[in-house]
Amino acid sequence: MNDTKFNVIEELAKSVVLLDDAKAVNLAKKVIADGIDIDMAITSGLVRGMAMAGEKYEKGEYFVPELLVASDVMNAGLNILRPGPKASNTAAGFANPKVVIGVIEGDVHEIGKNLVKLMLETAGFQIIDLGPDVPIRKFMETAVTEDAGLICLSGMMSTSLLGMKDVINMLNKEGLRKRFRVMVGGACVSAAYAHEIGADGYAGNAMAAVREAKSLMK
Amino acid sequence: MTDLECLESLLKRKPAERIVYWEYYTIAFAAIQSGMTIAEAYANPRASYESQKKVSADLGIMFQPVYSCLGNDFGGDSMSMDSCYAQAPATAHYPVNTAIDIWRLQTPDLSSLATLKEGLEFSRLSASEKLDNEPFNVTFNCSGPFTTAGELCGIERFCRWLVDSPALVHRLLRVTTDYLTQAAIIWLANFKNARIMLLVSEPSASNQVISPEHFKMFALPYIKELHENVLNAGYKHIFCHICGDQNINLKYWAEIPMGDPGIISIGHEIDIETAAKYFPNDIIHGNLNPVILQTQTPAEIYEATRKVIEQGKKLQGRYVFGQGCEIPPRCKKENVLAMIQAVSDFGRLE
Repeated sequence: MNDTKFNVIEELAKSVVLLDDAKAVNLAKKVIADGIDIDMAITSGLVRGMAMAGEKYEKGEYFVPELLVASDVMNAGLNILRPGPKASNTAAGFANPKVVIGVIEGDVHEIGKNLVKLMLETAGFQIIDLGPDVPIRKFMETAVTEDAGLICLSGMMSTSLLGMKDVINMLNKEGLRKRFRVMVGGACVSAAYAHEIGADGYAGNAMAAVREAKSLMK
Repeated sequence: MTDLECLESLLKRKPAERIVYWEYYTIAFAAIQSGMTIAEAYANPRASYESQKKVSADLGIMFQPVYSCLGNDFGGDSMSMDSCYAQAPATAHYPVNTAIDIWRLQTPDLSSLATLKEGLEFSRLSASEKLDNEPFNVTFNCSGPFTTAGELCGIERFCRWLVDSPALVHRLLRVTTDYLTQAAIIWLANFKNARIMLLVSEPSASNQVISPEHFKMFALPYIKELHENVLNAGYKHIFCHICGDQNINLKYWAEIPMGDPGIISIGHEIDIETAAKYFPNDIIHGNLNPVILQTQTPAEIYEATRKVIEQGKKLQGRYVFGQGCEIPPRCKKENVLAMIQAVSDFGRLE
């Protein structure tokens, strides 16, 4: 790759991490106009920029607003480079990249779940997002239907903890527990609680969720 | 001294002989303990009042009557509370979705609001009796202006606007600050002879969501204005629940008036002594991790409470024990009793 193309891709990554959507759109147009490899522009430009924003979030340099806007910038670039329905990110070598994610029934706080979804997508997982206030049984049913590898349970309320436990109990009862990995997270959840209820993984933030998911699904 | 006498002594900036437990938000826990659903408690002021009163008496603790006074006053819909996993009302569909919605947004006519009427009904009940175990018989309870603004448009949209549309955020905050001020003053006007307290929380301003820069720019001026307004109007004490991890916001919180004295309620994410340094003239309340009341054994809870009490003792008399957030509604009563026993066993001050 020559220097000009390299610079365009580098600037594309910077546009995401610096939250500059106009720049991301202009650079994406340049990628097409100059015949730069689109997959590379996405992976080494936009997606890498999003990962850099995630690193800033984990270091406490960025917070939720900045991370959300970084994802908007990434998507603005993606809409130019790959318009139409988004194909999942390139296969990332996971045993099963399909993830069912949702917020436990009775809880509509989904910002944490959405951040985890965003970063998992960026890392190459295929996400089936059930949204907020998801009935307990629906997690299991969707995971079976979609042949997912990982179920991610999110919740902010103390009562959500009970729902997480019930999802795992239901998987056990139905003889499906070994078929799926289960990861839990949210304001009230701790690693100790995750262990206690028999979850396979726990994450305290979106970046940790990516590491945990990669570890569980390698 | 009784618990109430200890607390009243602190509120007069005088010493108390021991640390006491002050539970400030029992709506859902009291409902479950009384055989009601949480949905019923949030829909029935009388039933909620009676259940809170009963549970406080059963546990032998002070009674702080509190109700969720404000709801979807700007429109929007709440989620169903029918699930056994539901804990508190939350907005499912927001009244503000676009910039145009914001510019059209008006402070509602408070005299006609159903939720306000329910809140007033609750406070009339609590004001009608002065029990011997309640420090304040009327509470005006609300989310702060920043959190209320996020509840109008959804926290994700609100977060995006913080970055790219600050004028929209300021407009929302203007409306919510005016609204909360007016509602708080309505409570004062209705309960002139009551012992009234403002209970306010700001979970969306935590550093789990926003940066200290955004706190300074957007949250600080409006929270400060609300507090100044209500104190000038006649509230003496603000019970301010600084919810979640707000460690790097504390220097800004310290600029906000809290009353004479204020009660600063902190979560387990904030160290008690750190909070005390930022609020040298106020009472610090907290900071047991409430989740453990649901997930740990009585023995573990007793020990965790002891550790919090030992920290609180270092504040030399301007500390009140409590959880760092709402008591988990489905925790076992024996767990709560273990916590209360620890406060009693270890709370005596030299």
